Amino acid sequence: MAVKIIESCVNCFACEPVCPSKAIYEAKPHFLVDPKKCTECEGDFPVFQCASICPIEGAILDSLGMEINPPGSLTGIPPEKMAEAMRELQSH
Amino acid sequence: MQLPVLNDAPTSKSGCEASSCGTTENQMDSLPDSIREKVQNHPCYSEDAHHYFARMHVAVAPACNIQCHYCNRKYDCSNESRPGVVSEVLTPDQAVKKTMAVATNIPQMTVLGIAGPGDPLANPERTFETFRRLSLEAPDIKLCVSTNGLALPDAVEELSKHNIDHVTITINCVDPEIGAKIYPWIFWNNKRIKGVKGAKILIEQQQKGLEMLIAKGILVKVNSVMIPGVNDQHLAEVSKVVKAKGAFLHNVMPLISEPEHGTFYGVMGQRGPTPDELQDLQDSCSGDMNMMRHCRQCRADAVGMLGEDRGDEFSLDKIADMDIDYPAAMEKRKVIHQAIQEEMDSKRLEKSTKAAQLKAAAKLTTRPVLMAVATSGQGVINVHFGHAKEFLIYEASPDGVRFISHRKADQYCGGDTSCGDGESVLQVTVRALAGCEAVLCSKVGYEPWEMLENAGIMPNGEHAMEFIEEAVMAVYKEMAAAGKLDDKQKAVRASA
Ligand code: SF4
Ligand code: SF4
Repeated sequence: MAVKIIESCVNCFACEPVCPSKAIYEAKPHFLVDPKKCTECEGDFPVFQCASICPIEGAILDSLGMEINPPGSLTGIPPEKMAEAMRELQSH
Repeated sequence: MQLPVLNDAPTSKSGCEASSCGTTENQMDSLPDSIREKVQNHPCYSEDAHHYFARMHVAVAPACNIQCHYCNRKYDCSNESRPGVVSEVLTPDQAVKKTMAVATNIPQMTVLGIAGPGDPLANPERTFETFRRLSLEAPDIKLCVSTNGLALPDAVEELSKHNIDHVTITINCVDPEIGAKIYPWIFWNNKRIKGVKGAKILIEQQQKGLEMLIAKGILVKVNSVMIPGVNDQHLAEVSKVVKAKGAFLHNVMPLISEPEHGTFYGVMGQRGPTPDELQDLQDSCSGDMNMMRHCRQCRADAVGMLGEDRGDEFSLDKIADMDIDYPAAMEKRKVIHQAIQEEMDSKRLEKSTKAAQLKAAAKLTTRPVLMAVATSGQGVINVHFGHAKEFLIYEASPDGVRFISHRKADQYCGGDTSCGDGESVLQVTVRALAGCEAVLCSKVGYEPWEMLENAGIMPNGEHAMEFIEEAVMAVYKEMAAAGKLDDKQKAVRASA
C-alpha cells in the first residue's frame, strides 16, 4: 500500500522532508514516491504527512487512486468558479 | 493664508495614533547607531541608497508551510514578476556560486536575501546552509530573510548565529477571524489545520517570533499585504501592535491579483487597492516615513537594482562558465563601495543645504503636486517614457520634494500590445499615473504625449539627465509661475 504523486505536482519540495519513511524523492518531471518504502505513515502519524502539506489539489493519490485533496479542498476555490475562470482566460 | 501642511495630515487621521506613526527621522533616531548605519545604506530601506546599491534574492527555499489566498504555488511562469514567483530553484551550493558571481560582476550588489519561493524557514537546512557559507566566504555581503512567521520562534537561535542584517515578517492581521479570510490552512505539528484555528496559531507564532527577534537585538521589518474589504481597516491596528513590539518599519504593499494567477483572490475577483487607497493607508500607517515607499515587491529570484531584474545574465549554465576569484573581487568591491559612499554623502549634504536654502527663500503658497519620473537609477531622469517599466512618484510642494511611491507601468502584461480587456499598454500606463500632473522623462513620443495631455498629465522631456529632485522642483516652480497651482482643486488629494 502506498500513495502516489502524479503529474500535477509542482515540485515544491514540501512533502519530501516530512515523510517519516524517506519514501519521497526528487525526480523529473516531478517528485515520486517509492512504493516499497511508503508506509502510508502507519505507526508514525494518523494522517498522510505528504498529503497534509502538499499545496496542490489532486497531486497525491491514495492506494485506491483517489485524490486525497480533491478540487476546492485546499484553495477554497469552488471547482465551478475555477472552471469558469479558466474558460474566461482561454477565450482571450 | 494657511497651507495644507503635509506632514501633519497623516497623524490627524483616524485609527492611527501619533505614538505609532513616527517620522523617518524619529524612527531612525530611535535606532542604535550601528543599526541606523545599516539601514541608511540599504537599497531596500534607504530611499537614496537604492539608486546606488543593489540587492539580490536566491530561490533556495521552495517548500511552504502555509497557504495564502494571494499565492499560488505554480511558480514557473516567466511572465510574472511578483513575490513568490521564480523560475529556477537553486541548491545552497548553486546559490552561493550565483551570489558570488553577481557580487563580482555587479559590485553595487551588497544585500543577499532569501525570500522564497516558499517560506525560507520552512526549508531550514537549505536556507541556513546558504547563510552559513556566505557569512564565511563572502563576508562583505549583508544577509536578510523573509518569513511568514510560522516557524520563526524555532529559528531565532540559529538566525542569531549568522550575520543576519534583518528579518522581514509578513503579518497581514492580528485577528484570527480576519486571518481565516487570508490563510485557508497551515501545516502545524504534523497536521493540516484550517480556518480560524490555523490562523490563530500562525498569528501567535508571528508575534512570538517578533518578540524573540527584538529581544535578540535583530532588526525586524513587517510587511503587510493590503486586501480591500478584508484587512484594509485592520492594518492600522497591526501597525500599532508591531511597532509597539519594536519592529522598526511597517511596509504596506498592495494585493496583486489577476484571474490568470490562479490564486483564490484572483479567481474569486478580489481586487487590489487603487494607487490612491494604497497611498492613504501607507500615509496613515507610516506617517511621513518614506523609507519603504519604493519597495518593488521583487520576485524571489530578482537580481539587480530595485525595479530591475538582471537574473537572466546569471542563469545556472552561465555562472558555471564563470571563473570567480572572490577575494580579489572583494578588494575591488571595497574601492567601489567607498566611492559610492562618498558620492552619496556629498549628495546628502547638497540636498540638506538645498532644503535649508529653500526654507530660507520666500515661500511659495501654492498647493502640492504629484509628478511621475522615469529613471533607471543614479538619481537622474534618464528613461524614455515608452521604455519605462515603472515610475517613481514625487510630491512637490512649497516645503520641497518628497518621494511618495513607485508605480508599475504595465503591471503584468507579457509584452504584447493589449491586455485582456482590450486596453492598450499605453492606456494602462496612463491610468497608472492617475493623480499626477506631470511626468518627467528623457523623451516622450507623439502618441503618448497626446494621451497624457488629455489625461491632464503634462509630459516633460526637458530635464533629461538632470537630478530628480531639482528637476521636479524646477517644474513645480514653472507651474506655480504659470498660475496653475492657485486652484485648491487637487490639493485635497495631495494632502489626503
Ligand atoms: S504517505 Fe507517509 S510514508 Fe507514504 S510517502 Fe506520504 S509521507 Fe511518506
Ligand atoms: S508537496 Fe505536492 S506539489 Fe509539492 S513536491 Fe510534494 S507532491 Fe509535489
